[in-house]
Amino acid sequence: MKRSVLILLTGLLCLSVLAANGKKEDTAAASGSDVVSLKFWTSHTPPDSDTLKAMVETFNAGHPGIEVEFIQVPGSETDVAKLMTAVRGGTGPDAYMLDRFTIAQRAASGVLEDITGVMNKKDSAMASAHVPYAWAETQYKGKTYGLPFDTDSRVLYFNKDLVKEAGYDPAVLDPSNGPQTIEFIQEIADKINKTDGTGQYTQVGFIPYDTKYSQGWHYTWGFVFGGKFADLASMKVTPTDPGVVAGYQFIKDWAAHMGPQKVETFISTYAPPNNPPEQDPFLIGKVGMMVNGDWVLHSIKQYHPELNWGVTYLPVPEKGDKPATWAGGWSMVIPTGCKNMDEAYEFISWMCGEEGEKMYMKTAHLPTIKSLLADDSSFDANHLFFKECLDFASSRPPIPAGALYWDGLTQAMGEVTLNQGDVKAALQQVADQVQPQLDALK
Amino acid sequence: MDWKYVKKHLKKKTVPRILLMVMCLFYLLPLYWMVATSFKGSEELSSFPPTLWPHKFIWQNYRDAVEYIPFLKYFINSLIIALGVTAGSVLSNSFIAYGFSRIQWKGREVLFLIAIATMFIPFPVTLVALFDIFAKIGWINTYLPLIVPSFLGQALYLFMIRQFLMSLPKDLSSAAIIDGASEFTVFLKIMLPLMKPVLAVVAIFSGVNAWNDFLTPLIYLQTEDLYPLSIGLQFFRAEHNVAFSQLMAASTLAIVPVVILFLLFQRFFVEGITVGAVKG
Amino acid sequence: MTKTEKRNLRNGLIFVSPWIVGFLCLQVYPILYSLRLSFTRYSGFGKPVSVGLENFRTLIQDPLFTKSLYNTFFYTVWAVPLGVVVAILIALAMNQRVREVAVYRAILYLPSILPLFALSFVWIVFSNPRFGLLNYILQGLGLPIIDFIGNPVWTKPSIVLLAQLGAGGPALIFLAGLRGIPRELYESAEIDGAGAMRSFWSITLPMLTPVILYDIILGLSMGLQVFTQAYIITSGGVNMAGPNNSLLFYVFYIYKNAFQYTRMGYASALVWVLFVISMILALSVFKWARSWVHYGNE
Repeated sequence: MKRSVLILLTGLLCLSVLAANGKKEDTAAASGSDVVSLKFWTSHTPPDSDTLKAMVETFNAGHPGIEVEFIQVPGSETDVAKLMTAVRGGTGPDAYMLDRFTIAQRAASGVLEDITGVMNKKDSAMASAHVPYAWAETQYKGKTYGLPFDTDSRVLYFNKDLVKEAGYDPAVLDPSNGPQTIEFIQEIADKINKTDGTGQYTQVGFIPYDTKYSQGWHYTWGFVFGGKFADLASMKVTPTDPGVVAGYQFIKDWAAHMGPQKVETFISTYAPPNNPPEQDPFLIGKVGMMVNGDWVLHSIKQYHPELNWGVTYLPVPEKGDKPATWAGGWSMVIPTGCKNMDEAYEFISWMCGEEGEKMYMKTAHLPTIKSLLADDSSFDANHLFFKECLDFASSRPPIPAGALYWDGLTQAMGEVTLNQGDVKAALQQVADQVQPQLDALK
Repeated sequence: MDWKYVKKHLKKKTVPRILLMVMCLFYLLPLYWMVATSFKGSEELSSFPPTLWPHKFIWQNYRDAVEYIPFLKYFINSLIIALGVTAGSVLSNSFIAYGFSRIQWKGREVLFLIAIATMFIPFPVTLVALFDIFAKIGWINTYLPLIVPSFLGQALYLFMIRQFLMSLPKDLSSAAIIDGASEFTVFLKIMLPLMKPVLAVVAIFSGVNAWNDFLTPLIYLQTEDLYPLSIGLQFFRAEHNVAFSQLMAASTLAIVPVVILFLLFQRFFVEGITVGAVKG
Repeated sequence: MTKTEKRNLRNGLIFVSPWIVGFLCLQVYPILYSLRLSFTRYSGFGKPVSVGLENFRTLIQDPLFTKSLYNTFFYTVWAVPLGVVVAILIALAMNQRVREVAVYRAILYLPSILPLFALSFVWIVFSNPRFGLLNYILQGLGLPIIDFIGNPVWTKPSIVLLAQLGAGGPALIFLAGLRGIPRELYESAEIDGAGAMRSFWSITLPMLTPVILYDIILGLSMGLQVFTQAYIITSGGVNMAGPNNSLLFYVFYIYKNAFQYTRMGYASALVWVLFVISMILALSVFKWARSWVHYGNE
């Protein structure tokens, strides 16, 4: 009896040791051939990840000496925990797709390879090929740490049927009429709101500060109200800038108007954590209007082509104000510890070159290469509007505390909407928290 | 019919029964909802009021959970980790507990007290440093940081086994020692077989805990081919398009092994928890 | 030292050596290691840069540190006592002399060993304000709808509630404790004319105090570590850990600093605060326990 127990335990022991060590060997074995294999990680999700996968396949077909493996990993704009821990453990990828405005911060913490050298060796025209604001985001202390991959702009999406039901002609919202005032949008939104017997929303007109299914970020409204988020010359964050304060005041008032908790309940009902995209509340007709980017064009096509929708400029504070929006976008970077810099650069520069960026436009993303942007014929009609919005778009300040600043601004947003806290105090707190970190990194 | 008898029966049997049923109902509701939701189609998933019982059973959800989500891969990984941890815990703790109970030596009680005291240190206290240390020796993205620590003893299991060993009579082993057997032989030949019931308890608990663990694999495992169910399901649903019905189907499947283990070894579960703890 | 003593010492040390290795390598060394890191700025890449007490100064002014501490205490203060009460109630129920009690016992115990990650997924679906069963029942009872995930007032209580699914484990210990109470005690109480309630307060509860202490200590330690539920319910705490960071628990904040923000030095400072707090709590509970734990006639 005791022997069988012992044998069993020894067996388990061997098994576990084998399992624990098994990984190492097959990675070593793979590098024997002439083909250089690279790992490319992205935290993008469908439908974008499907396009990215197709791009990798195209790249592999055209580059017989390089085999890129496409791998989806968990993460988001500011959450790169998987990348960090993997690079620390020496199991990081050779290429990673990073939200561009965080490059400076990630470079400062040491997770990215400086690609200036390899880039200058291969093509020195890279910098001038991309639009300047996107290129600026790839720099840290005068060195290049990534290549711009795409850009985007945010507009106001509206559900024509719901607008019509509310008693307005959707044609009023056509971009040819110029941007509408916030006041007018609120008037429509109020008429779209519907509540059930318990007073809970079952349909909403517009939640300008939602970030669960749309893009009602702090930057959106800060820019709409003409705010400046940082002073790059003196490397200071300026969340208490009057325009930024006005943007926060606007969402605070809006939340008060709709009932902050009722809004939150609507969001957690219809956009619970990791809601699948076909259940998106705008796509299923529960939301009248939302702020969102061009990639939604593709989601609509794929998941709810029956939706009767339109897009227009983000609303403006006063009649006659110039429209505003913000442009972000992602980048391709090479994480620290990459052993095949030349091949990895080959891959990321292809992805961020004309061929790659053009392919990515298929899932409704804007390129950062000037020549691609100049060619109107390559955009479909819906997408063209987004591209035109780039003309007046602002971008996030490329500071080495970009991600931290983003998280701080997000917390302040919760503080003023849900808690109805004091706007200035909340924003001052952001400055107090971020500035010391920025001072340490700049 | 004796009214008094009925009243007594009511008080002694019926009232407790109703109370028990109500309590069980509370504990079963979430699990019931999990199973019910796992069979619903996408229409029914967002119908209001919610349907208490799926009108149409969509078995496809389970197929999707296994085929669309790489469920089997995660499942096998979970199994490997759980088995490794179980082996480590049983081997190491039985061995160590023997030293803490069957041999009389100077300093034993002090060391054991220290061992018990470590139970009160929340394990995340060592999280950041251990990650840095394991990163330096190249253990990241392997199962080593998950399994190796179990080979070095855990206070709770040491305590359980020690309680058990202390209760065994001394002369069981002293006779053998006098006959010239080494401590190791006594441990292997005499004590280990006797320890079977308490080791079963340790095996079950360490295995179930490893199966349920979330934070450790979250930090140490980076590539999908190594994910256990806990982080595999969380990440898969964050990266792909997973309907809640599929997620519930996958959750049901993740729970099933634990339920089966429980039904098979109910006795050990009940004993395990009470061994040692009572006089604690 | 006699020869036997010497041999025993050697043998004893050989047998406990794996534990000694584990204690030194997995506990003592890491704790000292993080003490050293807590005085540095360290991203995990390159070398730690010594910054003196800067991390601790930052910590005092960091509103999220205060918030995560508050959240963790809130959770612990509610979950631990409630856990004890629920566990005792379940134990009393499990102790009933009903024929099919084994079935009830299994049902009440089972959820406590089920994986928390799966239960957290279930909680998201179960508590949905509109499509979840829980709110459907609340509504049926004429109660208002509760947004357990989106309302910062309810997010923490909802996790406290979820934790009660695990009360079956401690309940079994209480059950064993109940069975260990000599029947004569009740019999003599009954002769003295004590009712069921009286004998519960004067016999059952005092006799259970050692188990209560054990449960409190265990609950405190678990309460300070709460993480998984919050991580899953907030999808990894991206941007914010729940509405208004209401689910930003202490370990979650350590995790975010160490692995999302790569502030390993700062995270180590947080770790040390946790270490000190947990030591103080454990010691004070033991001290406090002397006044009420009944060690009976042992």
